[in-house]
Amino acid sequence: MTSVPGSCPLCNRRRFLKSFAWAATAFVAGERSSGQQAAGETANGGTEPYPIPWLDKNGSHNQPAGPDLEPSHIYHFKGRVARCSTFTGMGTDNNGNRIAFGSPTTDYGVMQGDYWAARTTQHGAFTHI
Amino acid sequence: MVPANQTHDFHPPIAPSGLYWVVPVPAGGLNISPDGNTITLEMRNVPIVDQPRWPSLDSIATPARMTFKMVWKSTGQPVFYENASRQFRFKGTRAQCQLEAQVEVPSIGFSWKSDAIGTSRADFAVMGEEVNGRYYV
Repeated sequence: MTSVPGSCPLCNRRRFLKSFAWAATAFVAGERSSGQQAAGETANGGTEPYPIPWLDKNGSHNQPAGPDLEPSHIYHFKGRVARCSTFTGMGTDNNGNRIAFGSPTTDYGVMQGDYWAARTTQHGAFTHI
Repeated sequence: MVPANQTHDFHPPIAPSGLYWVVPVPAGGLNISPDGNTITLEMRNVPIVDQPRWPSLDSIATPARMTFKMVWKSTGQPVFYENASRQFRFKGTRAQCQLEAQVEVPSIGFSWKSDAIGTSRADFAVMGEEVNGRYYV
């Protein structure tokens, strides 16, 4: 068996740990550059509202409008809301054609108040159109 | 259910977060009467898309814009919805809602304008106050 001066299991382990620490540092630096996080900024997420978590039959975070259904399209929300659906009406296109609008799923809504985003309370008004 | 004769479907894009067809209302776009019984929402040139084959996953979205005015008026009839498993509570009234709008799809040279607001009708409308998610207690 050949002995290598200065080598031992503990030394090898320490060398490994040093390498790991270096790799971890490199990884963190990479995260910062890909996230475009500038110095002095927080990293608390965006201020855009959260969608309602539940999915509709089409796989969307949509809330159909109707009795006993949730009027808001924003989750973690507290405030004024108005909702409507099943619109019918008429209009005219740029060629003079009369075209109806509306269907049972033609729905709109407006939400104004507090909502939770970026780890704190935000305030705003939004519409679902 | 999408009507078989539907030729256009106008809405904002779904946000990367999944937020569904929701856009911010600019300052001055939302007006509420002092008694709280009338809500008027007016927005101009809102960036939207036209997806005639929605909800098909491969429905092409063509950039468009929409200008509209929508008015809710409370009927005074109380409404209360609550679902603890979905963590929401709504307390308000039934309402009447009417809409006038115009849309443009510049790339295909299409535009459309509704008749006056008084000629439209929504079969379902409510207005009031809601709490959900972390505010639902």
